[in-house]
Amino acid sequence: MLRSSNTVSKSRYFILAICIISLNVILAYRFFQLQVLDYDLYSQRSDNNRIRATSIPAPRGLIRDRNGEIIVDNYPTYVVFGIGAEIVDIHKNFSVISHTTGIDTSILRDNYKSYYRNRFLPTRLAKDLTISQLSRLEESKDKLTGIIYKQYPERIFNPRIRASHVLGYLKEINQDMISTKSSTNDYQFGDLIGWSGLERQYESLLRGKKGVSYFQVDSFGREAGNVKGHDNSLPQPGQDIYTTLDITLQELLESEFKGKKGAGIVSNPKTGGILSYVSSPDYAPDLFTGLISKNDWESIITDPDKPLLNRVSNGTYPPGSIYKMVVAFELLEKNFVSTDWEILCTGSYEFYDRTFRCWNEFGHGKVNLEKAIIQSCDVFFYQAIQNVSLDELKIRSKEFLHGIPTNIDLPTEMKGRVPDRQFMNKLYGRWGWSKGALLNISIGQGEILVTPLQMAAYINLLATRGSTYPLHLVQQNKELIESPMVSKRSWKLIGEYMEKTISNTKGTGRRSDPKIQGLKIAGKTGTAENPHGEPHAWFLGYGEKNGEMISVVIMIENGGGGGSVAAPLAKKVFKQYFSRTLTNLVSQ
Amino acid sequence: MFAEFWQKIKSSPLSILIFSILLLSLGLASLYSIALVQQQPPPNAFSKQSLFLIPAFFLMIIMTILSKRLIHKYIYLIYGIILIAVSIPFLGEQVSGAYRWINTGLEFTVQPSEIAKWVIVIALARYLSDHNLQMRNFSSMIFPLIISLIPTLIVINQPDLGTALVMMLPVITMLFWVGARPFHLFLIVAPFLSILTAFNVTVFTFWAIMLALIIFISKPQLWNGVTLYFGNIFLGLIFPFMWNLLRPHQKNRILTFINPDLDPLGAGYQIIQSKTALGSGGFLGKGWGQGTQTHLKFLPVQESDFIVSVIGEEFGFITLLVMLILFIWMIIKILKLAFTASDRFSGLILVGISTIFAAHLFVNCGMTSGLIPVKGLPLPFISYGGSFLVSCFMMLGLVLNFGREEID
Repeated sequence: MLRSSNTVSKSRYFILAICIISLNVILAYRFFQLQVLDYDLYSQRSDNNRIRATSIPAPRGLIRDRNGEIIVDNYPTYVVFGIGAEIVDIHKNFSVISHTTGIDTSILRDNYKSYYRNRFLPTRLAKDLTISQLSRLEESKDKLTGIIYKQYPERIFNPRIRASHVLGYLKEINQDMISTKSSTNDYQFGDLIGWSGLERQYESLLRGKKGVSYFQVDSFGREAGNVKGHDNSLPQPGQDIYTTLDITLQELLESEFKGKKGAGIVSNPKTGGILSYVSSPDYAPDLFTGLISKNDWESIITDPDKPLLNRVSNGTYPPGSIYKMVVAFELLEKNFVSTDWEILCTGSYEFYDRTFRCWNEFGHGKVNLEKAIIQSCDVFFYQAIQNVSLDELKIRSKEFLHGIPTNIDLPTEMKGRVPDRQFMNKLYGRWGWSKGALLNISIGQGEILVTPLQMAAYINLLATRGSTYPLHLVQQNKELIESPMVSKRSWKLIGEYMEKTISNTKGTGRRSDPKIQGLKIAGKTGTAENPHGEPHAWFLGYGEKNGEMISVVIMIENGGGGGSVAAPLAKKVFKQYFSRTLTNLVSQ
Repeated sequence: MFAEFWQKIKSSPLSILIFSILLLSLGLASLYSIALVQQQPPPNAFSKQSLFLIPAFFLMIIMTILSKRLIHKYIYLIYGIILIAVSIPFLGEQVSGAYRWINTGLEFTVQPSEIAKWVIVIALARYLSDHNLQMRNFSSMIFPLIISLIPTLIVINQPDLGTALVMMLPVITMLFWVGARPFHLFLIVAPFLSILTAFNVTVFTFWAIMLALIIFISKPQLWNGVTLYFGNIFLGLIFPFMWNLLRPHQKNRILTFINPDLDPLGAGYQIIQSKTALGSGGFLGKGWGQGTQTHLKFLPVQESDFIVSVIGEEFGFITLLVMLILFIWMIIKILKLAFTASDRFSGLILVGISTIFAAHLFVNCGMTSGLIPVKGLPLPFISYGGSFLVSCFMMLGLVLNFGREEID
């Protein structure tokens, strides 16, 4: 049987051989394609499979006052994470965590849902755990599966002050913000970002740089050692910020504003540095750290006193009589009045068919420019302003920083409003307003609106006779503010008048003088009528002693008369600041 | 008697052993890497594979010295026994969703379908060499087809589509070897191609044109040709239609039947990881024991079906190229032995075995590199698996036996 001969044509042998060779050529080419041509792609994929990077949070820079005292600090809090792949019974986990720490299960469930990325990555369940909560959790660890903790730095605030509008707060970054921040893409979902105030303004300095630690995982997502060739990088802490704030002064001013609505700024006219910055009412600076309860939030945003409004930089008010110096400069410079030009104030002034009242209904009698400033006579300005055009007044106002942003190092500020003809025409129509509006504006009423912060810049300009620096909280602008084009004589005269406003027994600002030996105070009060009720009480002034100088701006919303309400507050600031420097000098 | 055996072994084409030992070493090196780096204490794949070498070598020597005449005489009987053997697993319990293994009651199980592969080849060889068949007639092909079809159908139901494929392929090459018309062989393959290509319009159009050309060139009788053509096209057209009539779970059942290794993590996961392992190995590989895809267990069934990916990841393209060359060399050498064999029986066995090796090689490498869908087929001499290793060395023994010049 085996004898049947093996007669095979050579071609059949070759065909089979060629078939086998060509199949193998296909295989060889396929391997070449994967391993040589597409090596980079698959090498990357292989690394992506196994290499995980976790970020190590960088401690945020501290915020300090001018003497280095810490205003905003970090403290460690603990964050609890769940790893989906390792959790056996998620509901049991939730109830155990809730039971031991007191955090509601609904919060845990919501967090797990919103932070969930995949089953191998830690998903945040709760943050801001204290050590005691954590240790209770640790005790019941045998009932938990797939739960880990990490330490995170959280903001904590100096209890002496609030300064919430200056400091601002941090907020968790969301997906939209990450995409808009594409240039700095090391923000991750859930990271904190400076959301307002200095925290926002100096985010790039404060933030620091996150560290990265690399580790290897296996196909189940379990950690499997370090990665060769990938060095971990340590986090770089954020830079500390030294503000110009004076914590003692801030403390004083905040306590003085308690129960009042308004704004107070203390600054150094020689540098532009802000020593104290109060917007009242404010909110606790740690309101936004941790979980804010819905009730707290509701009560904050529905509060009619608007505690979230930064009145200093974003509240706009009529300036009232504190505007009169601008008008006085214009009158002097254009020679519309001389120093002995007088009018008779009878308490009111008839202009065509309208009656314009002086604040003093009994009248000031004979009034020159000096008396008009000291006693803040309105009638004098009603008469004197009539030679001035609205547009010229606007130019002068801008020289004195009205209607101009102060460019303070905070994220937002309002510009205020200085009306000109065009503005009035637009608002009331070409024939809808008359010169009467000008009279009103001359005493800082009507269409003109300013922010308290602008007034701080304005008083600094007056205090230094035109050579002050822009207002700032951290970084000083090296360039002087452009000085108004006014003569030395005018500076001198207005300076004298403002000093007399304080020192004269009939001066409206006399209640601001703490009567300290060697302390010279100059200033002006304002009582700004407004449609919302009582007039806003204004005081702005500066004090100088032994070459040391501060300026104070006080504005109390619907507070009443500037001389009686705002000036006494300024007095306390002057008193505290200058008696302190005295003791300092003595101790030195 | 011993001297006679020795004489037999000495006159065998022993050079073929070199290839198998080189391939075996490559496989063992990879298995050792897996066992060592992943800290698997024995018994692990490496130690078990090494242990299986003992019966494998022993059975290879038996196959080498067995009398060809004896093999020829009893092969139909063995064929009958093996048909029963592949049916036995159906009586036992399902293992990993398949009736593939016979539980021996000892530490190991036996997979009779591995042995069946080459028993079919020998049975076919006897049939084709005993009968003076007129291969010009299509009818002569019917009986050989039935010989391989019966065990194939049993194995398909285990279900083990990969092995079934390997069982059906040798009959094609062996029929070709004894002079069947390529057109007839083509007719056997055509219906499968019609069904497979039907799911893609472009490919199906191309196939329809090819079919028309081949039928035209082969010049069958007019009505035969027309029937053939439209029969195939109709099959291709009706199949997707029938497919769409099925409910999703029925489709899934069929898909799982075609591809039993469908992964719980989703189809394609295995292939993606395997391609990643291969590709990230690059030209020179990551180094022995350094394969991250392997050792971090991203690579599935790495000891057996996907061992090529382990080799590719740790030893690189260059090693895979050497491996392919070794395989081609060995298979072509077996073919050459078949060509030079003096009797048809021996020649046919050698052709059949070379087809089995080639089929395993192509399906396994094609699968791991993502060329073809996942079919659980191991790589000869390299993959872990006791029955398969033993079977491979038995086939090697047959090659040594039937590649010998003299006739006893």
